[in-house]
Amino acid sequence: MDAMVTAQGSDARAEALLSSYERAGYARVNPPILQPAEPFLDLSGEDIRKRMFITTAPGGDEEFCLRPDLTIPVSRDYLASSEAGKPAGFCYLGTVFRHRRDAAAEFLQAGIESFGRPDKAAADAEMLALGLEAAAHYGLREADIQIGDVALFASLIAALDLPAAWKRRLVKDFNRKSNLAQDLDRLTLGGSNGRPEYQGVLAALAGSDPKGAHALVTDLLSIAGINAVGGRSVAEIAERFLEQSALGASTRLPKEVRGLIERFLAIKGDPDEAAAELRTLSADANMNGALAQALDLFESRAGFLAAQGIDLKRVKFSTAFGRGFDYYTGFVFELTDPARTGDPLVAGGRYDGLLTRLGSAEPIAAVGFSVWIERLSVYGGAK
Amino acid sequence: MSAPLVLAVPAKGRLQENAEAFFARSGLQLIKPRGARDYRGAVAGLDGIEVAYLSASEITTQLAQGAVHFGVTGEDLIREQIPDADARVVLIEGLGFGFANVVVAVPQAWIDVRTMADIDDVATAFRHHHDRKMRVATKYINLTRDFFARQGVVDYRIVESSGATEGAPAAGTAEMIVDITTTGTTLAANALKIVDDGIILRSQANLVAARTAPWTPEQRETARVILDRITAQQRARSFREVRARFAACDARLVATARERFSVETPFGGPTSSGMLTLHCPPTQVYALTSFLRDNGAEAVAVADLDYVFSKENPLFSKLAAAL
Repeated sequence: MDAMVTAQGSDARAEALLSSYERAGYARVNPPILQPAEPFLDLSGEDIRKRMFITTAPGGDEEFCLRPDLTIPVSRDYLASSEAGKPAGFCYLGTVFRHRRDAAAEFLQAGIESFGRPDKAAADAEMLALGLEAAAHYGLREADIQIGDVALFASLIAALDLPAAWKRRLVKDFNRKSNLAQDLDRLTLGGSNGRPEYQGVLAALAGSDPKGAHALVTDLLSIAGINAVGGRSVAEIAERFLEQSALGASTRLPKEVRGLIERFLAIKGDPDEAAAELRTLSADANMNGALAQALDLFESRAGFLAAQGIDLKRVKFSTAFGRGFDYYTGFVFELTDPARTGDPLVAGGRYDGLLTRLGSAEPIAAVGFSVWIERLSVYGGAK
Repeated sequence: MSAPLVLAVPAKGRLQENAEAFFARSGLQLIKPRGARDYRGAVAGLDGIEVAYLSASEITTQLAQGAVHFGVTGEDLIREQIPDADARVVLIEGLGFGFANVVVAVPQAWIDVRTMADIDDVATAFRHHHDRKMRVATKYINLTRDFFARQGVVDYRIVESSGATEGAPAAGTAEMIVDITTTGTTLAANALKIVDDGIILRSQANLVAARTAPWTPEQRETARVILDRITAQQRARSFREVRARFAACDARLVATARERFSVETPFGGPTSSGMLTLHCPPTQVYALTSFLRDNGAEAVAVADLDYVFSKENPLFSKLAAAL
């Protein structure tokens, strides 16, 4: 088949998909292809640099890039507009640019971004329904539906009686793709070789009143002629130094906490089964309703999914799903076709923290998804 | 005449002196027939080689492109500048100069930081505290990114720095750095310390071959000759020749010497008249001579070696295997 014909054919189908999104009330937008690189690097991490096309203006040193996705450009435009903070929904269809070893660097993505909607459970469910429509539009009726909810893990960790250093570590590890459950055994805090240089000082400080200890560390640094350089204040350094002294060298995660996290991460199934298991876990661990808010939202969302006509038995929920997506804060979902490559065809979720990180003074709810047009183009179309 | 093999060597400074001295020791004297300012040279008495004088960074680029056959450059530049370096070049041999480590360094004031695990934790805490990511100043963008990824550190940003990187934390343009250091003196002078497990790469000057250069049979043969001489010189440098003659010398005694002093017997065991030639590592020479005298040798002669040529040429085998 002629490549041009294929491309035009898929464009026409993608245009039809966009028209349906516009009819559903999402305003079509088309942000500039050339974007400042900073927000992408800041939000996705340095690792994304390997896949981005970065350039600088002649004589300038600000970095620009060819947009590697459309979520950040659409969000920035919304923030800069007079609608910022008000409920608004947008749809897009356009090229994105990512360096890929085995595929073209320029490819089409479509998607939806919904901002400022207070009815989060309903908005989440609508995104999944619209994502399923995209797959069906291309002729894939029975896409695999994988969902997760990263707010559940965040609530669990927040509720645990653990030092701050442990919570930071666990949340960060959850956000990575490697298997946290397997890592739990090996997780230790503090240098593995102990801290012989400071062992005496740390022992002396342990248990002393924080204010006095803080002053002592501050004095130690100034006696040594060390001025805090490199952006961290003396207070910050002293605080973490004391935190380490409280923990002792090479602390392991307490056994019962590890057991609880492992049990939590093993929960999967359809949303109803999972919710029941999560309620049992919460009761067993005497968590006094720490998970309640996240669980209520989870169950309410499941209700809206059913109301959208989605058979909940088809929905695969896992507590561990959603790891590796740094800026998501709640619902996450992915549609795949295991009979083919298993690569995501539609992927999205809730990122209530994104607009704050892009500079909004007030938090703004945000949820959306993107559609991999090139991956869906292989299907025959709606029957 | 067919196209020559191109050997790229650094065009100035200590690296050039050291590279020239290295080749001279192997009997490969680099000359500039058209005068000292010329950027093209040759090897005295050896046809088919052109010497290109370039900057270390340019040598690395040309190796990656296959524009030169051999080059002398630092492993740090190879790993930083060439994506998937092992697919494009072969590090034939470390040359024993240009030693430097690429390290992660933080302000000495960070008394709570000793390891990369600490950096990981501090980076995450920093982001929560300051609402921005910790900045790492470096010119080694790729080495830093790969090392930090392997260590699981994610909450950081790279600030590209082309000079005086060690001053960045004090100047407030970064929180920490990744830089090259030989003695650590410059880091200490800038109130920085190296993170215990933060040594990204122990680098030195290397003889590097370009996989993608056009390797004609003539160029391969020239490469074989060059590597043969380098091997012979290296082998000579790692041994002293020890000679003795005494009646009690037999195969068993040689076997003991081999085991205890790591000697080699390039010409086999003792001759019928008891004449023995051994190659011995320099550190073992005195102990070996004592051993031989204790076993009946009247006199033992020890001499430096200039070259030891042998049938095997491991450096060329390495190149041949990669092409």
